[in-house]
Amino acid sequence: MREGNRVLPYLMLLMFALLIVPGLGRSAEPGLDEDATACLGCHGERGLTVKFPSGEVLDAFIDGNKFKASAHQSLSCSACHAEFSAKDHPQRAFRSREQYSSKASSVCRQCHAEEQLKKSPVHASLLAKENKAPVCSGCHNPHTVTSVAGGKQFVSEKDHCLRCHQHAMGITLRNGEKVSLKVDAAALEGSVHTKLACFDCHFGFSATRHPKRNFNTPRDFSIAQAEACRRCHFDKYTKTLESIHYSILSHGNLKAPVCTDCHGAHTVVQARADKLKSSKRCGKCHQAIFGTYTKSIHGTALVQENNTDVPICADCHTAHSIQGAHTQDYRDKVPEICGKCHGNSTLMKKYGLNPGVVTSYLQDFHGVTLKFYQRQKDGTAPDSARKAIATCVDCHGIHDITKTTGPTTNIVKARLKNRCQKCHAGATEEFPDAWLSHYEPSLSNAPLVFLINLTYKFFIPFMLIGLILQILLHVWRYAVNR
Amino acid sequence: MANKSHVFIKRFGIGRIVEHQANALVFTLLVITGLSQRFHEYKASYWIIKTIGGVDTLRLVHRASGIIFALLIIVHVAVGIYGIMKKRWPASMMVNANDFLNAMENMRYYFGISNHPALCDRYDYKQKFEYWGVIAGGFLMISTGLVLWFPVNVARFLPGEVIPAAKAAHSNEALLAFLVIVTWHIYNSIFSPEVFPLDTGIFTGKISRERMVHEHPLELARIENVPVEEITKHHHTHPVDTGSNQGGGA
Repeated sequence: MREGNRVLPYLMLLMFALLIVPGLGRSAEPGLDEDATACLGCHGERGLTVKFPSGEVLDAFIDGNKFKASAHQSLSCSACHAEFSAKDHPQRAFRSREQYSSKASSVCRQCHAEEQLKKSPVHASLLAKENKAPVCSGCHNPHTVTSVAGGKQFVSEKDHCLRCHQHAMGITLRNGEKVSLKVDAAALEGSVHTKLACFDCHFGFSATRHPKRNFNTPRDFSIAQAEACRRCHFDKYTKTLESIHYSILSHGNLKAPVCTDCHGAHTVVQARADKLKSSKRCGKCHQAIFGTYTKSIHGTALVQENNTDVPICADCHTAHSIQGAHTQDYRDKVPEICGKCHGNSTLMKKYGLNPGVVTSYLQDFHGVTLKFYQRQKDGTAPDSARKAIATCVDCHGIHDITKTTGPTTNIVKARLKNRCQKCHAGATEEFPDAWLSHYEPSLSNAPLVFLINLTYKFFIPFMLIGLILQILLHVWRYAVNR
Repeated sequence: MANKSHVFIKRFGIGRIVEHQANALVFTLLVITGLSQRFHEYKASYWIIKTIGGVDTLRLVHRASGIIFALLIIVHVAVGIYGIMKKRWPASMMVNANDFLNAMENMRYYFGISNHPALCDRYDYKQKFEYWGVIAGGFLMISTGLVLWFPVNVARFLPGEVIPAAKAAHSNEALLAFLVIVTWHIYNSIFSPEVFPLDTGIFTGKISRERMVHEHPLELARIENVPVEEITKHHHTHPVDTGSNQGGGA
C-alpha cells in the first residue's frame, strides 16, 4: 500500500501529462473547442468502431477536418453526446445500430424544432410517416452536415440527390398510381447529360429546396417535366410545336409523345446513334406500321443486316416537326424525300441502283404537274382544284416498299396498273407501258422516243441555222444593192 | 413606172385574212401555254402559269386552242381540196420543180453570180416552205396532241410507248415551229428591208404593184396579160461584176 501510495502521484502526473500535453497541442488548431479536441484524440483515428449485439458495426471515426467545415463546428461534442465529456465515457448498451441512431437523432430536435423542420415538404412528408420516418442521421451526417444558409458545400449536386434517389423509393400520386423515384445512377452516368446537375432539369429543386409537387398522374408529371428540355434544345422544341404529336397533345390526348417518351429521361443518349433503336421507339405506339416496315426492303436491311444506309422512320417523317402523313403537303414532298437517297449517285452506286429515278419522274408529265401544284400553293389555285398525282409511294409502296426486281416485280407492276386506273379510267394492261419505268430512252429501251428526240436534236439547229443564214444573205444582198 | 408605183394588186380575200388572224392568235396561245410546260424550270414559265390561274387552267386553254387550231387546219385543207377539185382554183401552193430551181437561182443572186432574183409566181418557194411547214407540222401537232389528250384510248390499239413518243414529237415540233416563226416568218413579214416596218398584205388583202414586180413577176405578168420580160424590164437588178450603186433607185 505504502509502496503504492508512493507510486500513485507519479502515475497521476504521467496520466496528466498524457492527457494534457497532446490536448494542449491540439487546442492550437482553430475552430474546435477543447472538449472536441479531446474526443478527437481517440475518435480522430481511423478504424475505431463499435460493435452492436445485432452484429452491426458503427464506425466511430470522426473526420476532424470535415467536422471543422460543418455547420456544427462550433458545438462541443457533449452538446449532442450529453453523457460524454472529457472525463466521462460511459459504457452504453444498444441492441442495434438503428436503436442507437434513433436515440442519437432525437438530440437534433433540441435545436431543430419540429415546426421549422416541417417547412420543408420533404421533411413534412417524412415526419408524417411517424413510426416509419427515417431518423435525421439517415440522411444528414451530423458530423459533416453543412450550413443551409452558408451555401452549398457538398461535393456534387448529383451525389446530394442520389443519396436518397439511388434507393428504391416512390410516391403515390393523387390518382393513386405509384411512381418510382429511383434514379439509375449507372444509366445517368452513361447518358449524354452526365455533366448536367439534377437541378438543370428539375427546376425549383436545389440542395436546400425540395418542394412538394402535386401531380394527378404520372403522365401529367412527364408532360410537365418534358418542358425542361427546351431550355437547352430550343430549336428542337420549336420544331415539335409544328408537329402532329404536339397538335394531338394540345387537343387533349395526353398519350401523344413528349421529348422524354422518345429520348428517355435519365438515360438520354444520341438519338441517331442507333438507327434500329430509334425506329423501335416509334414502333412503341405505331406497332402495325413498324411491323410492316420491318418486312420492307429498307426495314429488312436495317433489322437483319443493321444497314444504316436505309431510311428509318425519322428520315422520312423527320424527328421533331413530324407532319401528318395524310396531308397533301406531305404527299407532295414524297419525291423530294425519296430523292434524298435515291437521287444520291454515290449511295445508289453502292447498291447498283439507278440514281436517275427521281429526275426521270420529275421531268415527266406527272412530276412536272406535281411541281407546279407545289408552287401553286402561293395562292394561284386552291388545293381542292387539284388532280391527284401519282408519286413514288403509289407504285413502290409506303411502309411496305419492295424491290422492283426479282419476285416482287409483279407487286410493283400491279400497283402501277392500279394507280394508273385510278385516274385513267379504263386503262388496259398495256397502258402502264406509257410510263418508261424511270429508264432513259435508248435504242434498246423506248427506241421510238429516243429516235424522235435524236432527230429533233439535229433537225432543229439545222433548220434554224439554215434559215438564219438565208436571212443574213438576204440582208447582205439588200445592203450591197443599195 | 412612176404612174404604176402606187397601184395595189388584190392578193387575199376576207376568208384568208380571217383565217390568218385566227391562226396567229391560236398559235400564240398554243405557244405560250405549251412551251411554258416544256420549259417548266424557268421562272417566266411559272409567271405565265400563275397569271393564267394554274397549270390545270393553262392546259384547258391549251386544249381549247388546240381544237380551234385543228379546226382551222382541217377546214383550210378541206376548202383547198374542194376549191381545186370542184371550182378549178389554181393549185398555186403546190410545190413543183420550179421552186427548187428558184431557190438555187436566188442563191446565185445572193452571192452575186446572177444579176436578178428568181422569177416567182403567186407563191415563192419561201412561202411554200412555210405554208407546208404549217400544214405538215399542224397535222403532226394535232395527232400527237390527241394521243396525249386521250392516252388510254390510244393504248388500246397502239403500244404504250407511243404516248411518250407523242410527247417527245409534240414538244420538239412545237419548239421547232416556234423558232421558225420567230425567225423566218417575223423576219419576212416585219424586219425584211423590203417590207419593213410591216408587210400589210395579210391585213389589207393587197400589196403594191412594185412589190409584185419584185416578188411575184410571173403572177403579175399573168394578171396584166403581158410577157414576163415586160414586167422585169424595170426590175431592180445589179450588174454582175460591179455590184455597186447602179441598180434602180429603191
